[in-house]
Amino acid sequence: MRSSIDGWLDAARDTGHLVAFRARTVRRRRASAFGVAVVLALTAAFAIAPSGFDVRSVGAPAVEQALTSVQGNLGAAFAGFLLLAVSSAMGSGGGRELLSRSEAAVHPVGPVTEHLGALLLAPVNLAWLVQLWGLLAVTALVAPAGGLLGAQVVVLAWVLAATALGQAVGWAVEGVRRSPHGVVVVRVVGGAVLAALAGLHLAGVLGPLVRSLPTTWLAETAQTPRWPLAVVVLLVLAAAAVVVGARPAAWALGLPPREELRVQSGVHEARHAPEPRWTSPERALLRRLDRDSVWRSVGMRRGLLVLGLGPGLVALVAGLEWGSVMVLPGLTASGAALLFGVNAWCLDGRGMVWRETLPVAAGDVFDVRALVVAECMALVSGVTVVLALLRNGLPPLVVGVAVLSCWLVVVVQVLAIVMTWSVRSPYAVDLSSPRATPAPHAAMAGYAGRLSLVTTLTALLFTGLAVVPWAWVPAVAALPFLAWSGRRLVRARRCWLAADERARVVLTVAAV
Amino acid sequence: MTHAPAVVVRDLHVRFGDVEAVAGVDLTAEAGQATALLGRNGAGKSTTMKVLAGVVPPTAGEVTVAGHDAATDALGVKRAVGYCPDVGGLVPRATPWEHLQLSARLRRMPDWEDRGRDLLERFELGDVAHRVVGGFSHGMSRRLSVVLAALHEPAVLLLDEPFDGVDPLGVDATLEVVADARARGACVLLSTHLRDLALEACGEAVVLRGGNRVAAMQAGELTGEAYRALLD
Repeated sequence: MRSSIDGWLDAARDTGHLVAFRARTVRRRRASAFGVAVVLALTAAFAIAPSGFDVRSVGAPAVEQALTSVQGNLGAAFAGFLLLAVSSAMGSGGGRELLSRSEAAVHPVGPVTEHLGALLLAPVNLAWLVQLWGLLAVTALVAPAGGLLGAQVVVLAWVLAATALGQAVGWAVEGVRRSPHGVVVVRVVGGAVLAALAGLHLAGVLGPLVRSLPTTWLAETAQTPRWPLAVVVLLVLAAAAVVVGARPAAWALGLPPREELRVQSGVHEARHAPEPRWTSPERALLRRLDRDSVWRSVGMRRGLLVLGLGPGLVALVAGLEWGSVMVLPGLTASGAALLFGVNAWCLDGRGMVWRETLPVAAGDVFDVRALVVAECMALVSGVTVVLALLRNGLPPLVVGVAVLSCWLVVVVQVLAIVMTWSVRSPYAVDLSSPRATPAPHAAMAGYAGRLSLVTTLTALLFTGLAVVPWAWVPAVAALPFLAWSGRRLVRARRCWLAADERARVVLTVAAV
Repeated sequence: MTHAPAVVVRDLHVRFGDVEAVAGVDLTAEAGQATALLGRNGAGKSTTMKVLAGVVPPTAGEVTVAGHDAATDALGVKRAVGYCPDVGGLVPRATPWEHLQLSARLRRMPDWEDRGRDLLERFELGDVAHRVVGGFSHGMSRRLSVVLAALHEPAVLLLDEPFDGVDPLGVDATLEVVADARARGACVLLSTHLRDLALEACGEAVVLRGGNRVAAMQAGELTGEAYRALLD
């Protein structure tokens, strides 16, 4: 009789086969290897570099106060990572998939293999990477001399444990979602949790409550010689979460995906053709089709909702100042682009061939698609800015100009980058499942790293410009960025207009 | 007075990187006639169809569709052609009606609803006209692709594997669309692996092999043995 250990070994072996299959299909191996190296180098830099700054030697009371605040809130940041892991797993229907549903359908891929695959793919997520880097950087900043290694090992162990816990919760929520009336249950409970958090925040008890969580003990212990104890506890917790998580994974994956099936057979009554005032009816009709393709997708709708509300609520609850908020629009815009914008033509799937037979100028098709990608990015990053506005009130003029300039720059920047990628490296993907990604995982990791780096550096520049006494400076500084991104966008458009290049994109995306 | 053929293909070459998908195809198809395009997998039928539909530009050779040069006037070609692609061909999160609406509007058809409704009914898709096509079966998707190709009564109707996975009623409806198109003077090109259906629908037959045309004949002359001999 086969033991459960045999089952796990088989699942681990199958996961290895799937990973190897995926690795063999990586097209640009050098670029992928370079991307992985950059991510690892950045991780090491965030883990080590901040420890070289002696913040207390600056002697400024404001800096001193900020450091104390960061130190006091490290436990809350640990809890925030767990929240992120849970929401990511929930948003992606339990977790990402190594093989798409249609590809995996003919293979005997078990739920434990799916679970292990989803765990492996959890880091292929912009928010996961950024949070990891943030935790490492803050820990490096506050760790005592000689205690850096232990503290960072604790951070890594916590990231492992939180990811495994988040995955287990994500599968459980997906199981509930797939049960009768499960979608309503998840929405009601999710809304109640948000309302409760808002209530606790308004009552002024959320901060103390979060600080009383065991994560505060963890953050404190990480900086003491007792850190190995914390690591052992976390590794045991991680192993237990991995094993326990297989149960809800098997449950969830054994149920039909009700929400997707409902959306796939959704009925949408006929509407009159739009009669726009500012653009041609053809472009308006194309725009409506593209918008519908986004909002009728379970994964994209859920992703845009999480990206729109998540970072904004963090800004609201954690009381982020404008200086810290500046980095969020770029990251949320990047997150939105990673939902489909990095492979923007995949929105049409196999219908791309039919779309290409329509008698409409190729330039119109490009413009409309770029506009819809930009709308999604501007929407989610705009919600973040508005929520930060609610928290902080109207900023001083120079800060306001810096925030708006930064927001505009990062949206155009990300748009130009992803439209270039969409034309240069299209992929055939089926986005009907919320577990699917618009590009292979190696490419997604590279995309996430690149977008986060570019937008974070841009945001840091504008954060610096927000303290200058002249309000026109951030606006003027935005111009070269906009010109450069605009040029890049025009180049991508020109490439799309070339018939042979467009045919390559169409045939690749439609997989024919 | 002589009419120019609706489709003229001379020495067509299509290359994707190192692969030459079509290597010197010659083809002429007249208005009011239906021509079957036959051949094994990889013979170049679908790629030739995509060139005729204005989706793929020819690498070399001359391609004229309803008087439009496919290399320089792809938009003109698209206006003249109705194309049912071999695979999929539908935007997954749009409804059949939305597909029809977009196609009709972009072709400036003012009164398309009645014809659209009639075609959907003929292909037994009337009940699902407002349902997202992502949940459609393969056969339903094929039938809708034929409806979309036929909606605007194109001068050149290109049907690539329209019978693939389609039930007998769908096959009858497709044959009817081909007959209607011929009757109104349209040129029909139909690519399929099903020789019997090709012969039923078409008067002419062209056989491709390895990206080349190896035979062109009256459909009635293409017996099973003759066809097999041309494929080997």
